[in-house]
Amino acid sequence: MPSEEVTDEHMAEVTGISLNTVRRTLYLLYEHRLAVYRRKRDPDSGWLTYLWQLCPQNIDKALESEARRLLRKLDSRLSYEKDHVFYACVNGCARLVFDDASEANFICPFCQGSLEYMENNRIVQTIEQQMKAIKANL
Amino acid sequence: MSEDALEYIKSHEDGVLQSDLWKALGIDSRKCSRLVAKLLKDNLISREIESADGIRTYRLRYSRQVSSQTGKFRSLMAIELFEPCAGCIEECMPEHCAKLSEWIFAIVIGESGDIQSKKVDAARS
Repeated sequence: MPSEEVTDEHMAEVTGISLNTVRRTLYLLYEHRLAVYRRKRDPDSGWLTYLWQLCPQNIDKALESEARRLLRKLDSRLSYEKDHVFYACVNGCARLVFDDASEANFICPFCQGSLEYMENNRIVQTIEQQMKAIKANL
Repeated sequence: MSEDALEYIKSHEDGVLQSDLWKALGIDSRKCSRLVAKLLKDNLISREIESADGIRTYRLRYSRQVSSQTGKFRSLMAIELFEPCAGCIEECMPEHCAKLSEWIFAIVIGESGDIQSKKVDAARS
């Protein structure tokens, strides 16, 4: 997206991305204060044109807010990973907690393959490391 | 000091030679190498080999593709995958979210890849 004002139609034309996707993305950026628009009325047709512009100066603030949101989610996920024992399909279809795996007689509900105990230490460690890295930068 | 180095590199649109950078900053070349290594690690600059007066050095350029000015939010990226909660409008269940799982697994797999490549390197040397 260029630094000067640009219409959503122009953006869709240049990038080849559908107009709906461009508009949805622009409104997402607007919600996060990463883009602003100005409305301009065509004096002949009376139609409104939306002229969009990026606000790159707000990116750090938006990323910080995303980081805090992600931290809360990772915290919930970490507790879940620590509090449960997991069984995974040998064919990689699914990962179930012990109660669900036991109810399914340790047979994968998708492919009928065997469900085997899955060590989740690496996942716990990864979440903890990632949380630590994010916290260190806030 | 790394901020000074970054500012200096940033102020030169065509990039700067590493051999000029340490002279401009008034530091020795070893310290400069460490600063450059840190800036490269943080994805704040890029470098390419160049010869100056027959001596091999590097041309350093400021990386504009870094989303954040400070590069401090790189932990939101897992390998090539930006954290999935940004812009997500689905019902939030972090315990069962497939997108969050994919992101976490990408990091786990990426780390395994690193371990594997280090083992291969170690075996070769």
